[in-house]
Amino acid sequence: MRLTQGTFSFLPDLTDEQITAQVQYCIDQGWAVNIEFTDDPHPRNTYWDMWGLPMFDIRDAAGVMGELASCRKIYGDRYIRISGFDASHGWESVRLSFIVNRPANEPGFALERQESDGRRILYSTRAYAAQLPEGERYS
Amino acid sequence: MNAIDKRDRRDRYAAGVMKYQDMGYWQPDYVPKDTDVIAVFRITPQDGVDPIEAAAAVAGESSTATWTVVWTDRLTACDKYRAKAHRVDPVPGSPDSWFAYIAYDIDLFEPGSIANLTASIIGNVFGFKPLKALRLEDMRLPVAYVKTFDGPPTGIVVERERLDKFGRPLLGATVKPKLGLSGRNYGRVVYEALKGGLDFTKDDENINSQPFMHWRDRFLYCMEAVNRAQAATGEIKGTYLNVTAATMEDMYERAEFAKSLGSTIVMIDLVIGYTAIQSMSKWARRNDMILHLHRAGHSTYTRQKSHGVSFRVIAKWMRLAGVDHIHAGTVVGKLEGDPATTKGYYDVCREDFLPERLENGIFFDQSFASLRKTMPVASGGIHAGQMHQLLDLFGDDVVLQFGGGTIGHPMGIQAGAIANRVALEAMVLARNEGRDIVNEGPDILAAASRHCTPLRQALDVWKDVTFNYTSTDSPDFVPTTSVAG
Amino acid sequence: MAATLMAIPPDAADAAPAAPGAPKAVDLRADFEASGLPEIFAQLDQEMVGLAPIKRRLRETAALLLVDRARQRFGLAVGAPTLHMSFTGNPGTGKTTLALKMAAILHRLGYVRRGHLVTVTRDDLVGQYIGHTAPKTKEVLKRAAGGVLFIDEAYYLYRPENERDYGQESIEILLQVMENQRDDLVVILAGYADRMDRFFQANPGFRSRVAHHIDFPDYGEEELLEIGERQLETMNYRLSPQAKAVFAQYIALRRGQPHFANGRSIRNALDRARLRQASRLFQRDEGPLSVDDLTVIEAEDILASRVFAGTPDSQTGDSQAGDRGTPS
Repeated sequence: MRLTQGTFSFLPDLTDEQITAQVQYCIDQGWAVNIEFTDDPHPRNTYWDMWGLPMFDIRDAAGVMGELASCRKIYGDRYIRISGFDASHGWESVRLSFIVNRPANEPGFALERQESDGRRILYSTRAYAAQLPEGERYS
Repeated sequence: MNAIDKRDRRDRYAAGVMKYQDMGYWQPDYVPKDTDVIAVFRITPQDGVDPIEAAAAVAGESSTATWTVVWTDRLTACDKYRAKAHRVDPVPGSPDSWFAYIAYDIDLFEPGSIANLTASIIGNVFGFKPLKALRLEDMRLPVAYVKTFDGPPTGIVVERERLDKFGRPLLGATVKPKLGLSGRNYGRVVYEALKGGLDFTKDDENINSQPFMHWRDRFLYCMEAVNRAQAATGEIKGTYLNVTAATMEDMYERAEFAKSLGSTIVMIDLVIGYTAIQSMSKWARRNDMILHLHRAGHSTYTRQKSHGVSFRVIAKWMRLAGVDHIHAGTVVGKLEGDPATTKGYYDVCREDFLPERLENGIFFDQSFASLRKTMPVASGGIHAGQMHQLLDLFGDDVVLQFGGGTIGHPMGIQAGAIANRVALEAMVLARNEGRDIVNEGPDILAAASRHCTPLRQALDVWKDVTFNYTSTDSPDFVPTTSVAG
Repeated sequence: MAATLMAIPPDAADAAPAAPGAPKAVDLRADFEASGLPEIFAQLDQEMVGLAPIKRRLRETAALLLVDRARQRFGLAVGAPTLHMSFTGNPGTGKTTLALKMAAILHRLGYVRRGHLVTVTRDDLVGQYIGHTAPKTKEVLKRAAGGVLFIDEAYYLYRPENERDYGQESIEILLQVMENQRDDLVVILAGYADRMDRFFQANPGFRSRVAHHIDFPDYGEEELLEIGERQLETMNYRLSPQAKAVFAQYIALRRGQPHFANGRSIRNALDRARLRQASRLFQRDEGPLSVDDLTVIEAEDILASRVFAGTPDSQTGDSQAGDRGTPS
């Protein structure tokens, strides 16, 4: 199973050169760049862990790529995503978000059903990996 | 400022028939107030009717006047309530029609009511005999009035946050065939399309609750499909469940059921009427649901340039009324859509401040006073081979709906969805890298298709499909060299 | 007006053996014209008084880089050149301004990707508590990536007297980046010449990574006078002939006093002269003021300075030992 969250998940994994170009695009738009990682890929897991603070006031992607390399060194077995944050009025949210690192093996999700009245079903999505404690899920 | 001074009042209100322009509905010196509603109409008077008198008549009939003088005007502050035609310009290239600008005092309208606004502006006047044809081209809605509306319950930004989808257009497909599928078969199409890579699927405008498929059955099967696809991809998915029905009670019942099943979105048709739309918007706001509007029926009055209401006005009304999605044209697809005019619609949906742009049919500066943004939807006869054009025309904040372009893929619905998603992501990647997607688009698609067989097949099947017909609704304006702006 | 590189014969590179697929010859002069450097040198000549040796060094450096680039095309290069520099000199001698120009030159020649200048001091790099320094230094390096990092009074990074000083941590990160990310940024270390010398002696890591040393001499009296007149001109003031003579005296006196900061001291002196001019005009009883009255600085506006009384003019303006201002 391939987790397809993020803007470019249907393409082959981006090379560092391609990632650099996307980061530079974010910087050129005036967006802050943020690196986050997680080992809980649930589609509604909004708050991935931040690798430091969002990077404001940078001009060149090299700094971000350096941080990404350090993040990969420690959390290379997890999902890592890069996002561009636009603080301008009327947006004030993420503008671009894409996965730049993923575990070697992605076991995917179980769909659990709970039958209810009138043929209604209550659904829960559970990541197989998340059955283990945090930090032990993909190693 | 008012044309009628004390000395004339006895003449003005003498019983009988008089010209509208003499009744005070034509005031060439009038300077509209910041709080006035201003409408610009395209008027085509009957032969021999003076355009100014025609404009004054439109002002009169859309505000306080009737065909004869009534003494009861004098029981009111009638100078205030009278609409004021204050500018009449010939339409460039069209010798028998004129643009008439009419200002309305804000107190003529009930706060927060599209029904009331439209009852005034397009109520009686469109059938008025001295005019051959009449079209409402655009409206300037003052901030004071805009602020009486709640606007979209979700808006583009919050929708993206809720769906966790950023940086690219969203992808959708309308389930086909429109009619006849059973609930079980219908859900199959939804599952295949969402699992393949689309973000949304959609009920068509006329899928309600017919003998071949009752609404409840459809909702249950669709939500099974949505949840299965979500688990298969790890992405949030949705399907616009059409809750359009005969009565508000039915619509509320269906919407509540959709919510109880965990749907993120419901849909309505424009034909339910402005009041029902505003009711559903309030419901969606109360329940944290995205509200999709299918503009079913609009072409009966938006398409012809001479008569009706421009879609840009409908789009403005719908943003105020509060819908999160609205179909706004594709330019390149099978349905009407001049590029410049369509850009105007998209701007109305997505900008916070829209400057006058005659080339896009926008006649006035319009502030939306931080009202949330409506996501435009491009749907109808588009396919993966046009991805570069679509991205260039519409940018990121749009739902691209490939119905036939997904379901009609020779290798099946999932393959169709994959082709569209890969084409889209490859194009966004290339654009962000600074490439000229308009010219290099076909090369970018070809390169992407090297690692994606479904895309290669889609490009082969649909490579020559285009809909090149002349648009019926394009802006009439004379480009000027003015640098003011 | 056309700025020229040093006398490079057009056929300087002709003797190089041609690698397969490489061009047979390069036209350095055409390269130079195409690089946009002539504009920068012209600006430099126009905007900055004096500094002849510095301008020459800048041209030399540009020539070196241009030739390096040409050599690369013949496959003669030996890896990315070391471009880190040290700028030494007293305050107000034009180091920051020159750093800006250097960033532009490096950008035009393609040695840095963006060409911006990030100016920092110890406080921006070194933290107050354990774990604070590395993120601070890295933050600065991220901002400077693609451009030039100008570390003013770099020697303050190194405080041997305090063995628990966090400066050393910052130095180590800087050295690593200067070595490994030469494509990403260029570092200029700046400060007083003598202290920089000691700094380099104590930190051989820096010494070995800094390839270009540029020393900024103090301005001569005439240059300072010209700088002052140019400053006034940009603000639409001018000196009366008497005031000019007095100001020349002022410069001679002030230069001998402590805390003299070249261009910056001149600016401060003129700011105070403008203040005195304003109060003089305000207290005057005679009729309405002409444009001339409003424009001209008179001798008395300068003579009131304490410099003529034998004490330093003002402790406030020039007293910082730092060199962060914009010399003009």
